[in-house]
Amino acid sequence: MFRKDFQLAWRDRTGWLSAFAFAAISILVYSFAFDLAATDVRPLLPGVLWTTFLFVGIFANGQSFQREADAGTFDAMMIAPVSPSTIFFGKVITNLVALVLIELALLVLATMLFDTVLLTAELILVVAIGTTGYVSLTTLLSTLGSRARARAVLLPVLALPLLVPLLIAGVRATGVALDEPVGSAPWMLLLSMFALWATVGGALLFPLAVER
Amino acid sequence: MDGELEFLFAGFAVVWAGLFVYLVLLQMRLRNLHEEVETLEERLAEYEASADPAPSVTVTPATNSEAATVRSPSDP
Amino acid sequence: MSAVATQTPENCPAALTSVLRGILALFLWATLPLYNARWTLLPALTGVAMMAMLVGAVIAAPREVIEGDVQRLMYIHVPSASAGTYFAFLIAAASSAAFLISRDIRWDAVARSAATVGVLFTVITLATGAIWGKPIWGVYWTWDARLTSTLVLLLIYTAYLLARSVAGPNDEQAARYSAIFALIGFLDIPLIHFSVDWWRTLHPQRIIFDPRPAVPGEMLLVLLIAFIAITLLMLWLVALRSDTEQLVQRTDRMRARLDQREPA
Repeated sequence: MFRKDFQLAWRDRTGWLSAFAFAAISILVYSFAFDLAATDVRPLLPGVLWTTFLFVGIFANGQSFQREADAGTFDAMMIAPVSPSTIFFGKVITNLVALVLIELALLVLATMLFDTVLLTAELILVVAIGTTGYVSLTTLLSTLGSRARARAVLLPVLALPLLVPLLIAGVRATGVALDEPVGSAPWMLLLSMFALWATVGGALLFPLAVER
Repeated sequence: MDGELEFLFAGFAVVWAGLFVYLVLLQMRLRNLHEEVETLEERLAEYEASADPAPSVTVTPATNSEAATVRSPSDP
Repeated sequence: MSAVATQTPENCPAALTSVLRGILALFLWATLPLYNARWTLLPALTGVAMMAMLVGAVIAAPREVIEGDVQRLMYIHVPSASAGTYFAFLIAAASSAAFLISRDIRWDAVARSAATVGVLFTVITLATGAIWGKPIWGVYWTWDARLTSTLVLLLIYTAYLLARSVAGPNDEQAARYSAIFALIGFLDIPLIHFSVDWWRTLHPQRIIFDPRPAVPGEMLLVLLIAFIAITLLMLWLVALRSDTEQLVQRTDRMRARLDQREPA
């Protein structure tokens, strides 16, 4: 099951590469917009990183689902005698791996651009947990929308308000990892709770979303 | 100061009274529409029964597994 | 009675679905007299309660020493925020769950109506908050944790209405998707609250505003009356809207049946 998902993802690697390109360009856009060359970057970095991650995640998830829907592979998967929950986890894990790879590449890029050490274990853990959270949620949401055209535009509108806690917690937890003063609230706990909630909720509701 | 408050109250009271009357009228219209829709549904059912006496396969996704039945007028 | 076939979701154990359906049926049976009274008792009670609230808020309640009469907006703002928004969205989420359990499209109409009324009251909450805030704080908006959470809530359910309205009133698949979203949106609320609250306590507030510190007894009484009044008003609006939407669903179905009979 997972192998099939990975195969599909590998075939769509241009899509994923475009997603990475989009992410890299976003970092540049932020650099220009907020003058990240001149100012002290460290307080702004968590925000820059997480908004980029979220936008790329939503964009990539929507794209991959769109490709599946267009190619008819999604319907084929539905007919197959596999439980929808398995399909859900397959998608989540595939997207998770792909997005974490993109994010790691972005962290390397940001390390070079902003001369800050970003590839610490703590930070990578924060990113991994947060990514699990938003991948689960956007995988569930990407099935929503009965009209294909409306789906693409609607996905960010639907996903982003729900992801507010993840964004807030992710940025702060990243700040903690970078030793920025972000207060003493248990951000990592909130982030993990969100990831857990999103994954469990997604697994429970995905079958309802895709059944005919 | 209290004199001004009485005007404020009068203003709000008028607004609420107006809103209340509007909502009640809306409700009455809704009840009438409800009855109309019921009547129309009955007439449609009768029309379907008379115009198509032979059992037909309906296209709606809500079809049960048993042979297509003609909806009786007593169906709510 | 239901216009659509009831199919057991393949992956839910049949026992669980039956139990859920049983609970739903029991709940409906218990609230049926109340439901039937919605055209008589509800408007009457709402009318009386709203008048009582008006009298209380504008005349009977004592004038607040520091803020003056503007503070009376609290009697609209606070009940709208709690009863008008959260209770309405709770109804929307519960109706969405009921729809997912029963597959009866009418629940979708109820959910949509509750969400619409909820959005209305959310706008009222934010607007009264802004109107109250300008003379008191000097600004229309402060990134107060509660206000910010309310804004996020507004975005969620506006998105819900937007997504749902793309499809027709009897579109079962669209209704199912939207119901899932409404449910998840509501379950997200505690997480939103925590995150926004912790976020806001990082920075020393310019003005720390708490609308419910030690509220004197009389104000509390008026607040309670206002709370009841707004709740009743919300319920009445949801009932009106939901009945209208269900009529729309029925006429839409009739039109579909007529269209089927059109000569090819």
